[in-house]
Amino acid sequence: MAYLSYGTHTIRYELSGPETGPAYVLVNGLTQYAELWEAYRDALVAKNFRVVTFDLLGQGESDKPSLFISQDDHVAVLRLLIDQLGDGPVFLAGISFGGIVALRYAIESGHRLAGLVAMSTFAELPPQLFLLGNVMRTGLILGGTSYLQDMLLPMNLSDAWLAPLLDKLESVKRQGWLVNDVYALQNLMESFLDFKPLTPRLHEIKIPTMILNGEFDFLTPRPLHDTLRSHIADSALVIVPRGYHAFTLEKSALTADLLVRFATDVMAKRWKGGGSVWIAPDEAGGEIEPFPEGYDHLRALPIRLAST
Amino acid sequence: MNSFLGPLDSQGRVPASQQTRVAAFLISAHSALARQLAIAVPLRLHAGWQTELHAQLYRETEIVSLLLRATSWVPDPAIPFLAISWETAWLPKPAMTGDGTEGLMIDMAALGHALHAAIRPAALLPLEAAADDPFVVALRRIEFESSRLMQAQIIFLKDPGLLPVRQDVNASVERRHAQVRELWTAMLEGIGVGCDQSGA
Repeated sequence: MAYLSYGTHTIRYELSGPETGPAYVLVNGLTQYAELWEAYRDALVAKNFRVVTFDLLGQGESDKPSLFISQDDHVAVLRLLIDQLGDGPVFLAGISFGGIVALRYAIESGHRLAGLVAMSTFAELPPQLFLLGNVMRTGLILGGTSYLQDMLLPMNLSDAWLAPLLDKLESVKRQGWLVNDVYALQNLMESFLDFKPLTPRLHEIKIPTMILNGEFDFLTPRPLHDTLRSHIADSALVIVPRGYHAFTLEKSALTADLLVRFATDVMAKRWKGGGSVWIAPDEAGGEIEPFPEGYDHLRALPIRLAST
Repeated sequence: MNSFLGPLDSQGRVPASQQTRVAAFLISAHSALARQLAIAVPLRLHAGWQTELHAQLYRETEIVSLLLRATSWVPDPAIPFLAISWETAWLPKPAMTGDGTEGLMIDMAALGHALHAAIRPAALLPLEAAADDPFVVALRRIEFESSRLMQAQIIFLKDPGLLPVRQDVNASVERRHAQVRELWTAMLEGIGVGCDQSGA
């Protein structure tokens, strides 16, 4: 475990894998901590990637500013981390809150990246997400971290994942509850109070971009990911079957495999984004299928696209 | 050094010596806040936000009363000496703004924020702690209430009206956080508990 200085603050990070390999930097979601990427670290290191995981400012064992955290701070920390990685190819992947940080970094410093993976994330706050965010903030204030976790678990994970854990949910939640403080989570949430939509600047992202969206993600549903797809020229939207918002937790082997395949394709110059839409396999190593031609990927029903 | 209180007895209770030291610290801190609030709350409320101060005054008093009754007290000769350093730390230290009253209010809010945000007594409890033990329930209740209680401080400290002195506000809150963490950590180390509760 290593520590990085950002102003008067300290950021905890971990660097794994061969020094000369291409790098993957993984950015946490709101209530995450670096250890939750362990399966990814192992899978990526096995494929000779260097892997950087870290706790965002305000999370886990990184410093937690008492009152104010700006989203600019997260981008600045990311810049410091990536600057340490030398000149080799760097792939950046972020989920949810971390996806926004990754998008912002790619807009401002895309030249430093070989590729971007945006997972369960968004560039705008439409009414449903805005109101859900408010509810989560109120839940955190009134019920603490544990209540927020109780809200997020059924919203973001499938019955199949939850069923065997129902009688031990407290132990599942405990580490996240221990390392996350209410005031710090509240500060992270309140960094959205002056959130400006990123959509007008998405076209500035010129690098290959893979957008991953769970089939059943209703916290950040498909239209939010489609905004990314339609504004980032060299992007492809890959739908993760039966995936919810936290599919990275539930389907780590599959997602890590998708990350490896994306980076490998980009480095071999095989990547073809072009705003295409795909369906990921159920299991790691399976075929990535194109979304059926002529059907609307924004609908849950098999609706044919209107002819133009 | 352990990350949690204990070892627990056969009924899942925290050792009385640890209960005594933790409770003494929390009583010192929350009664100091209660005293400051008792002075700050006017006899007649003039603004809506002062209802929050009024509520806080009685919540702090409740925490002190709860700990007095829920703790298994044992003699602890170190407490008088420790209490002097604790009580000295809680004394007002006005924030460095131009206005003395505003500086005092900021410091009081900063201390309240630090005590409610930086101290997480429930996170000291091991999984095996008895769920119906009064001391265990008291620690959980104090931590649970803290997230609501600090909202009054957050609203005040983040108020746009304090924007011109935001750096002073931030410095005051960070200073109080550092002070509270240092005292809390030292107190815990004195009873064999390390401050890293992450388990990492």
